[in-house]
Amino acid sequence: MASLVTVWTSRLLSLGLGGLFIFAGLQKHLSPYEFTEAILAYELLSESGAALTAAFLPWVEIIAGAVLAVEAVLPRGSASKLHALRAALGRGALLLLVLLTALFVVLLLITMARGLKIACGCGLFFQRLVGPAALAEDVALLAVAAWLYRRG
Amino acid sequence: MQAESQGRTSARPFRQEVAAGLVLLIISVLFGLVFQWPLVAAALRGEVGPLLTAKRAERRAAQFEGIPTLDLAETYRLWQERQALFVDARPASEYDELHVAGAVNLPPDAWDRLASPPLPADKGHPILVYCSQESCDDALKLARRLREAGYTRVMAYLGGFREWDEAGYPVDIVR
Repeated sequence: MASLVTVWTSRLLSLGLGGLFIFAGLQKHLSPYEFTEAILAYELLSESGAALTAAFLPWVEIIAGAVLAVEAVLPRGSASKLHALRAALGRGALLLLVLLTALFVVLLLITMARGLKIACGCGLFFQRLVGPAALAEDVALLAVAAWLYRRG
Repeated sequence: MQAESQGRTSARPFRQEVAAGLVLLIISVLFGLVFQWPLVAAALRGEVGPLLTAKRAERRAAQFEGIPTLDLAETYRLWQERQALFVDARPASEYDELHVAGAVNLPPDAWDRLASPPLPADKGHPILVYCSQESCDDALKLARRLREAGYTRVMAYLGGFREWDEAGYPVDIVR
């Protein structure tokens, strides 16, 4: 019973996390120039570096999020090669999201330590400044992604 | 021997996961190249700055149509004449640290929380709004809000507090 609850919790969290990253990625993809400006405000990358990040990063979020969400809704249990490939892609997507959120936690901490008062450019439901709320949100995402990855 | 074999089998899935992650990363880069080519091309040519300026102007013209904007020299002249109310649209914490001398603070999202916003009763009084820097939209958002509230002579200074401060023009703190 407990394992059934864990399986369904894991599936729901994967679906939720995947959906959130798809949403956040789409927001950024649809406003690439504003997202480039948001990256530049962190004063860590050159203009070209910020533009390339703004072009590629949203797709990492969309594709990794989509793989995670699809993996969560598809049935499991088969021992076929296709299933093994699907599982590896799901784990690969999760690994990318863990690295991405961990990197962003570090970035937020550095920005807060530098005292920059800038919009976080997170692409979630509303615009917020870099600060404790954005950090808490990102740490929560990291905790969920890390739990899902560790659970396997 | 058995431990070595177990180590090999546990390392294999991790290598597969890393490989899968790299494949997803490569696909993401390809999608980025296809869907954001103008941005990528500008980055490769080192022309991101002018592209951002042009896109920002284009977006603002559509989003904040009809709001007159002033440059640094015009803003300073207006400040010297002391005819207009200067309104700082930045968060209160930033305003408290330093602001254009004589300016009042009214962040766009704080308007609804204030019982009496620091605005003139005369709706024809000239008002100049600014925020932190060229890339922020808060000055224009507040200017639009002021126009909707009936103020007829609202202008926005887009260089923002950073440009004003860097030019060495008068600033003040909250005491």
